[in-house]
Amino acid sequence: MKGFGHRFTAFFYIAASIVLLIFGRSQTNLIDQVRAQIFATFIPVITVVDIPRVASSSLSDWIRNIAIVYSDNEFLREENAELKRQLAEATELEIDNLRLKKLLNIKDGTVSTITASRIVSGSNSPFFKSMLINSGSNEGVKKGHAVVNEDGVIGRTIIVAANSSRVLLLNDINSRIPVKFANTGVNVILAGDNSQELKIEFMPPEETASPGDVILTSGMGGFFPPDLPVGTVTEISPLGEIKVKPAVNLNRLNYVSVIEYKIADFPVLNPELQAGDALQPAVQEPE
Amino acid sequence: MMANIKKNKEKSFGFKSTLPFLTILFLIIMMVLPYNIPLIDDIMPFLTLIGVYYWSVFKPELVPVSVIFVLGLIQDILLGSPFGLMSLLLVVVQQFIFIQGRQFLERDFLFNWFVFVMIVIGFGALSWGVTSLYFRVFLDFIDVIGQILLTIAFYPLITWMLGLIKKAIG
Repeated sequence: MKGFGHRFTAFFYIAASIVLLIFGRSQTNLIDQVRAQIFATFIPVITVVDIPRVASSSLSDWIRNIAIVYSDNEFLREENAELKRQLAEATELEIDNLRLKKLLNIKDGTVSTITASRIVSGSNSPFFKSMLINSGSNEGVKKGHAVVNEDGVIGRTIIVAANSSRVLLLNDINSRIPVKFANTGVNVILAGDNSQELKIEFMPPEETASPGDVILTSGMGGFFPPDLPVGTVTEISPLGEIKVKPAVNLNRLNYVSVIEYKIADFPVLNPELQAGDALQPAVQEPE
Repeated sequence: MMANIKKNKEKSFGFKSTLPFLTILFLIIMMVLPYNIPLIDDIMPFLTLIGVYYWSVFKPELVPVSVIFVLGLIQDILLGSPFGLMSLLLVVVQQFIFIQGRQFLERDFLFNWFVFVMIVIGFGALSWGVTSLYFRVFLDFIDVIGQILLTIAFYPLITWMLGLIKKAIG
């Protein structure tokens, strides 16, 4: 009788797990809210357990930095001179760009940094590629915000709690990001497949790509601002599958930035025209 | 006086009885720390499985199915895996161990390790199958093989540590 009771209990929990799996697919918002509440409570525990690893990592970084400080200094002097020259050129181009945009009355979206965050945990699994960061709705993070670092795009927030958020990484099998080829401007979708490389989807058949092509965000969809570096084409298979190496080393992340992109209004070529007038000829015939 | 001693003993056993739960929870946290090591990030061993296997064999009364279910849900939440996936897998593994019979499994270390090899292969295959079914895609299983091998390699170390805790429980 005891054995029967035990087996019934086990069957109940197996059934409950299956129900949760099925329910979780359809009721993602409810499940996400529950998950957010629970993982937020674990953040302090994980942070405490992680102290020895962070301390040893900081120590090894400090020793490595001391060892390479002289060679780094020389390299940075040269780089600084080159960057000053590029800054002068970029400023000139920016002024030109702004002047032309003003002429065409093009409105850009605005990008603002919400917060800088530390990575608390990763999924460390071949099937799921996500991480927890120590910023949440208290810092202004919302679901769908882009997560980046100085090298480029990392992912986007999918679950947000009060003081923590889960970030879906670029290479997760569920990740899809609208991107474009920097040299041709062709818009495509970048998909993750849980590996270290990403793949291009919906490439127009008449377009071509080659190794070394730079991939940037296209800004479509409204989550990611345009022109952020995403990766570089590394390989094109005989079947036409285009592989992309992420610009960010996803295995060496410590700190990230959460950014918000507010999309601009649709560009108005002639603001003096009203909606109804737009159907009329813009140029009036001289009397 | 006697009543007080008895009360204290019960109290201390009360805390000790939570040690299997706490050790498995600790193993879950160890699995999600950001190690920033390329290989480990993809083939993190199933440390929780070692804990569940060990306590289900040696102290099954302290890890009832409800506890394993809750630990599985916590792992799903911290790992970011589909809610219910790890609880399903861990409960199934525990039931498999119980069906095999505790006396059968309570043998020498090498025998237990060999049984564990069989269990971890089944667990890896099941996790790959259920996740593929959940996402409705044929997931790559190469990394799972790496996870299985690494779990087998970690087994002696983790069980040695759990053995020390088992001695403390008595």
